[in-house]
Amino acid sequence: MTWRRQANAVFRICWFNGFLGLVRSPLVFVALFLTPLSFLFFLYVVAPRAELPFGVVGGVLFSCLFTGSGMMNDCAYLRLERQLQQVFITSPLRPISWVLGMALSELTFTIPALVLFLGVLTLVISISIGAFFALLGVIILTWLLASSLGFLLSTFFRTLREIWPIGMVIFTTLSVLPPVFYPLAAVPASFRWVAYLAPSTFASQLAVRAAGLPAASVPSVPALGSIPAELLGLVGLAVLFTGVAMRFARWREP
Amino acid sequence: MDALVAHSLSKTYRGGGRSVRALDNVDLTIAQGQLFGFLGRNGAGKTTFIKIAAGLLLPSSGSVQLFGTDVVAHPREVRERIAIVPQEGKPFYHLTPREHVEEYLQVRGASSETSKSRADEVLKAMGLEPYARTPAMLLSGGLQQRTLVAMILATDAEFLFLDEPTLGMDPFARRQVWEVIRRSVRNGSTVLLTTHYLDEAEQLTDELAVIEGGRVLYRGTPDALKSKVRREVRLHFSSGFSAEELAPFGEVYAERGGLTVMTTRAQVEELTRMALERKIAVNVGPVTLEEAFLTLVGRDIEEEDSEAPLA
Ligand SMILES: Nc1ncnc2c1ncn2[C@@H]1O[C@H](COP(=O)(O)OP(=O)(O)OP(=O)(O)O)[C@@H](O)[C@H]1O
Ligand SMILES: [Mg+2]
Repeated sequence: MTWRRQANAVFRICWFNGFLGLVRSPLVFVALFLTPLSFLFFLYVVAPRAELPFGVVGGVLFSCLFTGSGMMNDCAYLRLERQLQQVFITSPLRPISWVLGMALSELTFTIPALVLFLGVLTLVISISIGAFFALLGVIILTWLLASSLGFLLSTFFRTLREIWPIGMVIFTTLSVLPPVFYPLAAVPASFRWVAYLAPSTFASQLAVRAAGLPAASVPSVPALGSIPAELLGLVGLAVLFTGVAMRFARWREP
Repeated sequence: MDALVAHSLSKTYRGGGRSVRALDNVDLTIAQGQLFGFLGRNGAGKTTFIKIAAGLLLPSSGSVQLFGTDVVAHPREVRERIAIVPQEGKPFYHLTPREHVEEYLQVRGASSETSKSRADEVLKAMGLEPYARTPAMLLSGGLQQRTLVAMILATDAEFLFLDEPTLGMDPFARRQVWEVIRRSVRNGSTVLLTTHYLDEAEQLTDELAVIEGGRVLYRGTPDALKSKVRREVRLHFSSGFSAEELAPFGEVYAERGGLTVMTTRAQVEELTRMALERKIAVNVGPVTLEEAFLTLVGRDIEEEDSEAPLA
């Protein structure tokens, strides 16, 4: 199959699995808004007003990171419960096209939430066109990283029962613990480097800078808290996760 | 030319502290253009074989080649040429039968015109037209299964793996599916099909293999299988005979409140005479493939049991 046909297949998968899935089960909308929105509400109530923009940026990133969780769930579901992954990969479709189609579907599910948070962001701070595109770049890299991780994990499950606890642990650690909803500055200066153990910190710091919010320095490893380091980190991690997923994802049961 | 060649294929599943030998040195060839059937009891190893041959499961040892390409070494080349109905696969919840077929064909690289016209044809042939625009979640189990099978049979894949394709379908639908499968074969596809419906195997397959305990117990045409058990006639007595009395004449089964014995033509006369003397009604008919299967596999199980040391 030619590259054009593969690309067409990717968009078809995104169309029937993502778009049609979304419009035909509207509850997905609500589910995707709910968690980041409640965090935002929480921040609105308890946090100083100045930290609210961090929470909105956090909502954007949270939505991106949770495409990974969705990816893990949906891919495992379609493989284990529906056996449709098997139907799709026993065909001229390349496995990578299947993964891309699924990842784009997850992005489709998230777009309403992203639009909402980006909309709110323009209300709480003023944001330039350049900053907007920078933010878009961060969104795409974070989505790539999260969905690669989600897919890789999905291929190792043997029953759907195993997914829920593992998903909770991994994606909560990625999105709630590190400075996604709160500023890095809230972490004691000498421990800030620890936050960079989570890939999401690279994304959140870049997003914070793109939005023009004050970014915190990392006194113990000064090089870490800079745009080049964070950009390198995020791009590197996204490439690494994608590579690892493509290399180690299980297409055949052992 | 051979479409599929399996050589000393073995598979042992490990995990949870136990290991199951699902395939045991299977040698099998399927010629191009054949409609080949797998029969075998639950757990015999049929699905395991199909998963390995379709590049979805790794064998423990041995090899499978599809159209001369090794499945383990080159799974992608093989997958491009096949399509599979997995056992107990299910369609997407939210898509209609028409969307399933059209989208699947497009994802496989067909143009949108081809996908549309193929979908029309297959949905009609499989009796899915009245449901073509109903989301699968609103369809009955058999209709969902038909949707899944329609996706696969609409393709022009060179090799079709159909693992219990007619599971849960009514007798009308099964016949429609048979017709579509036959059409795929006429168009040049090779088919490997598993089924627990022996009439289906008899009606549909050119040749079949009986799998038992991960081994090929028998391979040949359905007719040859029937004659292999060397019992041509079945007699059913609703009462008046004990199983012990009938045992010397052939295999005996309890059935419909009475006993059925599978026997040779030569012995029919004696049995019917005995029945007449006792004024017992007797029902005579030819042995079906189902009975041949029961006899063949039944014998194998008995042998296994007698080989086992008595505790
Ligand atoms: N993933 C697995 N892990 C462990 N054992 C397995 C696994 N899959 C199958 N088995 C075992 O391997 C053997 C063969 O199973 P298989 O599914 O191939 O049988 P089958 O002939 O398709 O049966 P059925 O007619 O019930 O579909 C069985 O004993 C089964 O329990
Ligand atoms: Mg099976």
